[in-house]
Amino acid sequence: MTALTGYAGVIVALVSAGTLAYTGARVFVADGDDAPRRLAPPVWGVVAGAVLAMGALQWGLLTDDFSIRYVAEHHSSGTPLLFTVAAAWGALEGSIVLWGLVLAGFTAWVLWGVSAGDRIGAGALAVMGLIAVFFFGLMATAANPFETLAQAPVDGLGANPLLQNHVLMAIHPPMLYLGYVGLSVPFAFAISALAAGDGSTSWLARTHRSTLVAWSFLSLGIVLGGWWSYEVLGWGGYWAWDPVENASFLPWLTATAFIHSAVVQRRRGMLQAWNVALVISTFALTILGTFLTRSGVVASVHSFTQSAVGPALLGFLLVILVGGFGLFAMRAHLVASSPRLDSLASREGLFLANNLLLALFAFVVLVGTMYPLLVEAFAGDRVSVGAPWFDRAAVPIALVLLLAMGLGPVAPYRRARAAVLWERLRTPLQAAAVLTAAAAVLGTRSLTVLLALFLASLIVASIARLLHTSARKRDERYPTAVAALFTSDPGFWGGMVAHVGIALLAVGIAFSGSYDTRTEITLAPGESAAFDGYTLTYVEPFVRAASNRVEFGAEIELSRGGDRLGTLRPRLNDYENQVQAIPTPAVRTGVREDVYLSLVRIDGETSAVTLDAYRFPLMWVLWMGGLVVFAGGVWSFAGTRRRRRVEVDAEPVDA
Amino acid sequence: MRRYRAFIIPAVGLVLVLGGFMFANLQENLVYYRVPSEVAGTPADAARFRLGGQVVVGTVSETAAGVDFAVSDGHAVVAVSHTGSPQQLFREGIGVVVEGEWDGAVFRSDSMIIKHDEQYRTEDGGVYTPDNRPGS
Repeated sequence: MTALTGYAGVIVALVSAGTLAYTGARVFVADGDDAPRRLAPPVWGVVAGAVLAMGALQWGLLTDDFSIRYVAEHHSSGTPLLFTVAAAWGALEGSIVLWGLVLAGFTAWVLWGVSAGDRIGAGALAVMGLIAVFFFGLMATAANPFETLAQAPVDGLGANPLLQNHVLMAIHPPMLYLGYVGLSVPFAFAISALAAGDGSTSWLARTHRSTLVAWSFLSLGIVLGGWWSYEVLGWGGYWAWDPVENASFLPWLTATAFIHSAVVQRRRGMLQAWNVALVISTFALTILGTFLTRSGVVASVHSFTQSAVGPALLGFLLVILVGGFGLFAMRAHLVASSPRLDSLASREGLFLANNLLLALFAFVVLVGTMYPLLVEAFAGDRVSVGAPWFDRAAVPIALVLLLAMGLGPVAPYRRARAAVLWERLRTPLQAAAVLTAAAAVLGTRSLTVLLALFLASLIVASIARLLHTSARKRDERYPTAVAALFTSDPGFWGGMVAHVGIALLAVGIAFSGSYDTRTEITLAPGESAAFDGYTLTYVEPFVRAASNRVEFGAEIELSRGGDRLGTLRPRLNDYENQVQAIPTPAVRTGVREDVYLSLVRIDGETSAVTLDAYRFPLMWVLWMGGLVVFAGGVWSFAGTRRRRRVEVDAEPVDA
Repeated sequence: MRRYRAFIIPAVGLVLVLGGFMFANLQENLVYYRVPSEVAGTPADAARFRLGGQVVVGTVSETAAGVDFAVSDGHAVVAVSHTGSPQQLFREGIGVVVEGEWDGAVFRSDSMIIKHDEQYRTEDGGVYTPDNRPGS
């Protein structure tokens, strides 16, 4: 019954999506005549169907309905509540249901902003409808989450143990999907504006907020993914340039470029064609990412078994690329013209540099990610591109990007005279130089790390100076003035908060990546060993039973110079029904550095334990940076709403 | 577009040069993945590559530096000498990917990844797959 209800939901959503695409196109041709009234029913149909499908899937999981194949394969009666709920997106079919639900939500949001006579909005809804047809079509056919079993097993197999090993796995996918799917909104509007031959910037203004929401959640999702990898996988890192990681990073790069170039187009009317190209590329990259993760073409913890979903996604990607760029080429004359750049040394010049660098970054990552697939397809060799190659390419690009970030916000539009730049940068440069010199004196020797630290502190200091001088100019008490600045231009100041977050990320990545150490240590019970100034004492092995797993590992006491710092329990989690146990590292986060212990093995007879001990400096700065980036994005979004409401109210109704 | 020409031509040149470096560098950084039947019987190879296969039952023996074993893909068997202590999950019959050099007789590896498989255990300790569960 649950399965039937869920499948009915999928069908309702699919039919509504088809209706939405058709009616949307008709309304578009009819110049947006009566758009909200004609388009609301199909949109609500998609929403209702998607909610019904997700609700039924959750119901099936919560009531242990093992007659549904998905539930039987990805859930067991002993699974804790949180991972039962999360099991709904822990595997292929369910993750597409989540995708559909998020897409329905964004479609409803688009509908909310559509008014009568709104041709572009109707066209955008039609595009959203087409995207929904594809995803609900997948659910109805190749990736049906509601397939039933003739005979229900007594208990299910349980979720992939890697995915139920940490609470982050319940949060990371929805965040990432809010990002991925949200990027379909600017795409839909760009396509609609192109089809309408509308060369104005209205589509940019209208998608500004959804782009910010998508970008913020995508940023958060990527950082949470890295955190999960660090806390769960136990290989001693958070980023390995794995194709699946790159898949989430690629649209982030182009979306970041788009957010910046959109500012240039709104302020100076430039980069119009570039913006359209970026938006189409970004959406295509999200589909490429979904293809890479969901088709099984790359082997990874994220990828699931091969199915017909892969070819379907590849086909959809081709449709987007050919359709999107084809339309773009046909309408290029409408979007090409733009006022000229007065000088490269200006805010817009730096925006341009930022965009080229981000595009170059995306291109490099794309080449490294796709190259093995192309080699295998054409030459038959299975190869992988080593992480050092990505590092070597990414570090210089990232450093120049940091420089542009330091200069951009203080550079005036049109033309930046050297005297003005110097006046605005003098103090920040001094502050950055002092901090970097201090780090060098304290023993930082790597040139790359020092450079990253210098640029990051330049970014933070120049923003702090800007905030300080702007606040001083206001006729208010200083704290009130600072608060007033943040609320008066949330788009800008939210962006600055995000810049500070990126600076923190850069510092965290530079230090943790350059000064990490690793040692393999073998200890008998009661023995101690020195590790980078710490002492590790092996107290005893332990075995603990939890509702869905047995944990066995080693209790290690960590101390430093006689101070007891705590007990770490690196372990293996042995899940019911699973052949292999899952290693789980233990991490002690400190202000200076993390101590990270990963269990390699415990000898069955002597209980001797072999550990991989890692030390990662300043890891918390990295995670903090990710959260600050998210906060900046949210502030930009939350603030713009307040401002736009006022503007909308001030406009004549008949505009 | 004329007004951008002064900017576009050097930019395209720069991109081409960078792209050339990138691809040259890419070729050097590729790590090949091979299976035992592609390796057995071939001469020594100085280049590092990855070797994937199943640990052959009865071949595992601990050494001072690590562990010796053989991997198979069902067609051919290759001897592996691994430096470093193997993970807890390492055992006979499991899928591994090792990285190192082939000296013509033994694959000398220094890095090992245990393949996480999606197999499930039955109550009597056997293995069943999702399509082969009791009651279906």
